[in-house]
Amino acid sequence: MQQPAAISLRSVCKTYRGRGKVVEALADMNLKCAPGSFTALIGPSGCGKSTVMRVSLGLEDHDSGDIQIAGQSSSAATAGGVTGVAFQDAALLPWRSVSQNISLPLEALGRDPKQHSVEIGHLIELVGLDGYENALPGELSGGMRQRVSIARSLITTPEVLFMDEPFGALDQIRRRQMNVDLQRIWLDTNSTALLVTHGIDEAVFLADSVVIMQSNPGRVVEIVTVPFARPRHPDLFSDPEFHALTDKIAKILHVG
Amino acid sequence: MSDSRFFATLRSVALRNVVILIAVWEFVGRMDWVAGGALPGLSEILIRFWVDRGDYPGHIWATVYASGLGFLIGNALAIAAGIAFVLSPLLMRLMRGVNIAVFALPPIAIAPILVLTLSGMAPRVTLAALGVYFVTMSATVVGLSQYDTRTADLVRAYGGGNWMVMRLVRLRGAVPDILSGLRIAAPNAVLGAILAEFGGGGRWGLGTYLLGSLGRGEPARLWGIGLMATLIAGLSYAVFAIISARTLGSTRSVTLNTAIPDTIDPSRSRPVRLLIFAGTLAAPFLLWWTFIRITGVPDLISKTPLGVFDYLFLSDTSHIARGKLLAALGQTLPIAGVGMIAGLSFAFLLAVSSRLFPGFIRAFMPVALVTQTMPLVALTPLLVLILGRGYSVTLWITISVTFFPAFVLLVQGINRVPQTVLDLPRAYGASAWKEMRMVSIPAAMPYLFAATRLTVPRALLGVMIAEWLATGTGLGNLLNQSRGYLDYGMIWTVASVSVVLSVTFYYIVLAIERRTLSHYGMQQVE
Repeated sequence: MQQPAAISLRSVCKTYRGRGKVVEALADMNLKCAPGSFTALIGPSGCGKSTVMRVSLGLEDHDSGDIQIAGQSSSAATAGGVTGVAFQDAALLPWRSVSQNISLPLEALGRDPKQHSVEIGHLIELVGLDGYENALPGELSGGMRQRVSIARSLITTPEVLFMDEPFGALDQIRRRQMNVDLQRIWLDTNSTALLVTHGIDEAVFLADSVVIMQSNPGRVVEIVTVPFARPRHPDLFSDPEFHALTDKIAKILHVG
Repeated sequence: MSDSRFFATLRSVALRNVVILIAVWEFVGRMDWVAGGALPGLSEILIRFWVDRGDYPGHIWATVYASGLGFLIGNALAIAAGIAFVLSPLLMRLMRGVNIAVFALPPIAIAPILVLTLSGMAPRVTLAALGVYFVTMSATVVGLSQYDTRTADLVRAYGGGNWMVMRLVRLRGAVPDILSGLRIAAPNAVLGAILAEFGGGGRWGLGTYLLGSLGRGEPARLWGIGLMATLIAGLSYAVFAIISARTLGSTRSVTLNTAIPDTIDPSRSRPVRLLIFAGTLAAPFLLWWTFIRITGVPDLISKTPLGVFDYLFLSDTSHIARGKLLAALGQTLPIAGVGMIAGLSFAFLLAVSSRLFPGFIRAFMPVALVTQTMPLVALTPLLVLILGRGYSVTLWITISVTFFPAFVLLVQGINRVPQTVLDLPRAYGASAWKEMRMVSIPAAMPYLFAATRLTVPRALLGVMIAEWLATGTGLGNLLNQSRGYLDYGMIWTVASVSVVLSVTFYYIVLAIERRTLSHYGMQQVE
């Protein structure tokens, strides 16, 4: 690959110091995501997969190592609107309407939301919330709120999209639906995606490669390439090859 | 919240009880059964009110003006301070001593000081502002601290700094808390203004009017003034209750955020922590000293911290001053302690047994809630009328100012226990007593401590007002006498001693509370 990686972590270390307890969240973590690729990070609780995302976004400092997002430092990338982010739970501001929530990143970046009203309308359509522009989060279902947060993560047309278990709070049925929707939306955007998840199914269905992590200390144990062609159809969930791959990942996760 | 459901069902019962109460009141009043007519019937009070109607507008205006202006100034300061404290935990730590002192100071004790150093309406406005500062400041801090850390992360993930997070996420999120703070603060402003009117001259104001009418043996007029003060305080509370009900609606948070934002950095070295502690201790005195320098009142009248120390320990007459002070403390402290313990125990017993007599609590709770908006201590003259000028009036005032807030806090605390937990012992056939011992009493413990912290300054305030206005004993009387003798040193001494006492008691309760609660693995409540 000639182009710089969209996400590049080299020898990143991060330790948390609690009360007389030191947790090595990331030990010599290396990760490279090619532009336009979809990567899933999977692993048990406490393996540092969320930390990868938080240090990449500059929400937390790392102790050592080098992080580059689209060839820039984290702070330059986030302040330049290069990145998009969706967290576990929708994390919407309850007093803002759907469109006002979607425009929040613009305001944080110091841009004028009024100049982006067309994009906001387009995103609302893309996530299938037409007619809910002025609804408050309290009036929406859990799945709808999650779709608002996906729309919000795309408002800056990010080159790099970070998602931390964006569907963690949803039930299995809703989650599958959202996976299919997310693939469609992502294919439309040409962005590089990094998805942090607990769900093996979700990881395999969505990603080009699945990065498997283990804890104590947090590290990458294996990277599994997913061969299925895109766009992937929901039927893939019941395909024997799909199951063979998820079983393989499950085994690696359990053996460590 | 089970709270709102519980209080909603109380409303219809409350209305019925109010009607019954008024009927009984009218009957008892007309028959002159209480202390030979000290409690007139409602109709007699209304008739008297009509007769006095020319007097009221001037007095009402003075009180409303002072409390309104104090409310505005105090809250502006409080909200600004709250924002500053949240942005800088170090500043919050340094100002902690000042905040606790403002919370704990008995307003009546500093009223004479304000009258000495300021002029015109300023003492009243200041006392009203002091009355609202702590409530609104802590509501602001709580509101700004309990923001959704995930939405804050979101703003940061797009390069937003602390101020951007404050503007986009925290300020708006704090509005419900600030509004509920303003609601509680509003009656406090009225109370502060009235207490300042008690403490220092002037011709207008409901407090002045009440005090002026005390010696005339016109119970109906005193009650009229008292009811008017209550009405104003209640209305100010209602205005903010309505505003917060309007603005909230469907904008409440939809998901529960479990992460607690970190506040204090424990990594500071020992000397730095000691320095911060010293700063915390020094800040109130520094503020006192600055206040005197700014007002520019001559040293003879206004005393700096050093001046008070000199008066009490170094000057020629210091032994006389100490003797007077100790004698007064000997009268004030025991009765404040007894009244507080009685009020708290009564509230505790009644609250934990609420499952034994649910009907009684349902009937009584509205009355207790109404008292939260009443300037209770301002009604002392009415109690003097009924109970005379003996010790019992002091005791009853102290009990009532501690009992009602403690009771409301405890019942609300017990109502936060999930129904399933309450039902569990019963499901295994436990008796009512056993259920109380296993669930209600432990559940109420954190709230009992919170209530104690809350009521320490009120108890002291209640006793001092009773002493000032009625019994002629103790600290309250010493304060009043010193005003008459122009004994400025003593006025400053009593004021600072009562603040120091109040803060000390606060910390003693806090220390016991921390030990006990951490021993039982319980959370402290604010």
